[in-house]
Amino acid sequence: MRYAYFPGCKIPHHLPAYGQAVTALCDALKIDLAPLEFNCCGDPVRHRSFEAWALSAGRNLALAHGAGLPIMTPCKCCFGSLKHAAYWLRENHDLRAEVNATLSNEGLILPEEPQVFHLLTVLDQDVPPDELAARAGGRLCGLRVAAHYGCHALRPGNVTNFDDPLNPTIFERLLRRVGVTPVPWDLRLECCGHPLRGKRDKFSKALKERKLTDARQAGAQILATACTYCQMQFADNENGQPSAQEQTAVAAQDINNPPGNPPTAMLAAQLIGLGIGLSPEEVGLTKLPAPLVHPSSLGHEEHTRKITDGEPITANDSNATGR
Amino acid sequence: MTFFDTGLLLSLTAAALGLIWKILGWLRLTVAPAPRPGMGARLAALGKGLLRSLAPCAAARWLRALIVDGLLQRRIASNGFYRWLMHMLIFTGFMGLLIMHGMDELTSELWFSDYAPTLDPFQWLRNLFGVLALTGLGIAAWRRLSQPRVKRTTGLQDWVLIALLAGIMLSGVGLEASKIISPHVFDSMVEDYLGSDDEAEINALRLLWADEYGVVFPVAPPRSDEALAQGRELNEESCVYCHSRPSSAFASYPLAKAVAPLGNILNNLRADLLFYYLHVGLCFLGLVLLPWGKFMHPLSAPINLTLRRGRTTSDTASAAPALADALRPIGMDACTHCGACSEHCSVAPSFMALGTPDILPSEKLGALKRHAAGRLDAPARRAFAEGSQICTECLRCTTVCPSGIDLQDLWMQSKARLRITGPHEPHAVLQQRPTRHWAKTLRSLPPALAEASRSVKICDNRDSFWGCVQCTTCTSVCPVVASSEAPARELDLTPQQIMNMLRMGLKEEAMGAEMVWSCVTCYKCQENCPQGVRVADVLYELRTLAWARLREHPEAWDEAGTSPGHEPETQGGEA
Repeated sequence: MRYAYFPGCKIPHHLPAYGQAVTALCDALKIDLAPLEFNCCGDPVRHRSFEAWALSAGRNLALAHGAGLPIMTPCKCCFGSLKHAAYWLRENHDLRAEVNATLSNEGLILPEEPQVFHLLTVLDQDVPPDELAARAGGRLCGLRVAAHYGCHALRPGNVTNFDDPLNPTIFERLLRRVGVTPVPWDLRLECCGHPLRGKRDKFSKALKERKLTDARQAGAQILATACTYCQMQFADNENGQPSAQEQTAVAAQDINNPPGNPPTAMLAAQLIGLGIGLSPEEVGLTKLPAPLVHPSSLGHEEHTRKITDGEPITANDSNATGR
Repeated sequence: MTFFDTGLLLSLTAAALGLIWKILGWLRLTVAPAPRPGMGARLAALGKGLLRSLAPCAAARWLRALIVDGLLQRRIASNGFYRWLMHMLIFTGFMGLLIMHGMDELTSELWFSDYAPTLDPFQWLRNLFGVLALTGLGIAAWRRLSQPRVKRTTGLQDWVLIALLAGIMLSGVGLEASKIISPHVFDSMVEDYLGSDDEAEINALRLLWADEYGVVFPVAPPRSDEALAQGRELNEESCVYCHSRPSSAFASYPLAKAVAPLGNILNNLRADLLFYYLHVGLCFLGLVLLPWGKFMHPLSAPINLTLRRGRTTSDTASAAPALADALRPIGMDACTHCGACSEHCSVAPSFMALGTPDILPSEKLGALKRHAAGRLDAPARRAFAEGSQICTECLRCTTVCPSGIDLQDLWMQSKARLRITGPHEPHAVLQQRPTRHWAKTLRSLPPALAEASRSVKICDNRDSFWGCVQCTTCTSVCPVVASSEAPARELDLTPQQIMNMLRMGLKEEAMGAEMVWSCVTCYKCQENCPQGVRVADVLYELRTLAWARLREHPEAWDEAGTSPGHEPETQGGEA
């Protein structure tokens, strides 16, 4: 399948490793990515102006339509913004007419049925499960990973149509295909806190630390993200490692729980890429996160809620809605 | 002192003073948040960098950048063929003329022992360079008039530079043409070089020059075959060693021929002198303008490209602070206002929707220069802040900039500075006053134009919230409420209370609530609402509505929005 690749604004400077991992992974899996010069998805300006947001997102939909390609983005916020805009541009005829009028100056027009996919969906739909499993060959076998879903792809479910918004399974399904053991954890559908970063840092930090603690208690060695912003929130530096300061903060906050490092935040594209045999350099890692060097190094097995293969990850997860 | 010497001295002095001022600016102007290392530290850092750049491998890198990015304009080439062609034509034409013709006393006369501006190939080359430059300027004007994305960032300065260069080239062609037809110029050459005042000989020469050199005499010289032969002989003896036939001047000779019917009038007006003063005057004007705005780019862009050593990523911030501080103003001065950054800007659609020019990087850079120099008034500061805050730091402007400016770094630094000095982002402005203050203020303001004209209305549509039964599901699933130890104090209102405010018609009372501005937009409230209330969409819209009103009535937030020393996160306290 061929897609118009929509990396979003933050990858080129703030998280180049993600771009590298996505292109390497798609290359290895024969997913054809066409570079189009998109503009911002509109998400950041949505707090200021609905109209500026709708035009920004709409222009991208029109650009992809003009190229005759569906959009594939590795960022949940870009995905959500584009899907949300597609929703409003379908629902509201006046808005659609306004956006089309502006776009027509450039010879662009909004598509009737915009095609927007997130990387996870593409990996799930376009790559046969057997192929992924065969290529993985058990490299990451036993690695315990907490899948962090990211809000803007999940909700509102009737707008994004990403997966079941209250009980999604796509992320764990993909992880299991490369031999990783997904751990069930209560806060997997919660916000990472990035939207309040630099705005209400107290809340932003609290949300992040709550999630890291929960993932650690669930026995996760890796916290897998599939969104540029989520990854930036959990790990600032380019190696995807939480800073020492953050590790201390998380550990100190929760003295009643078993010792251990918070899980290392890692991009799903990097994890799956390593799983199918790409080198760390190819997926933008200058060095491997510790749990991948010694998969059992964190080993507090007794606290890991083991899941048997094949069992739906969230079937008994009564906290799927959050609290 | 002649007109030329006086003018040259004056304009060179003005240019030198301007350049000194600019270089002082490189040591003085600050983009990054204060406090920063002083002038001495910057000078030392630049000196140290200069020494280090002499090392062979560093020298190879900057030499390569100077040749590939500076002379061959690789970066412009990757921006489009016509842009590259335009620049190469102007560059080749202008530099050719400047070196061979403008500074001939220092160049051509020293390099060629028999140099004379009226000899070929110099005469021909002058026309060639002029036509190349004029073609390039024509493409430049055509691009700026016909391409919407270039047109929207084209300003007065761009036209002044195009007009000035075109004026210099055209007046040069006019000067040459008016000298070709001028009997005054002929007479002075006769006086200088013929060494004879025999009227018959001069008339013979006049006849030849009227025929073969295009001079237009007020009274046609008496014609005879002998006189023509004598004229040719005199020409061979006295003239040809320093004056080729003007037919090789393929731009100005046809012009001279074309205006020949009006030759007497032009000659009586002394068109040759008029064009001389115009041509030289425009050149002096260019010299005076050289240190300012985009006129400086022939100097500053190569300097910046050399300093950047061919990189297209953003790494100024990783340099030593004093060096980074010195590099930033140099980068700002390297802007040619070509508009490539704005053509590729990721948030250009926000400019289309909001109309603030400073959203586009090429315009924001101008504002940043004035901001750094402390020359922005309050409305301009607000526009600059809006443009800065809307930027998503996508790096694209930095990647495409033909002058190699590290724009990404400039934006990140200036945004960091704005976070301290203001004008602040909407959430920070709203945070500086209690909810009741904003309720009163926002209620007193008329609805914004942007508010009235919107096609999607959520808070003004009862269907959005009318179904709310105050079951508190939204509040109980809200991760922000869950993270707060004291929601009533920290958030003012909970999501379900905000829905209730709307039901009671108290929209403005909710607009300034901390909850509205602390929403993480996770949509859990909306997803879980049993009544299908658009909780998160309402919070989104309350933010945009409040901001639209304040944006159209800046006096209402000026005080709150620009007060220095603002520190976010003061009201929450430490956990």
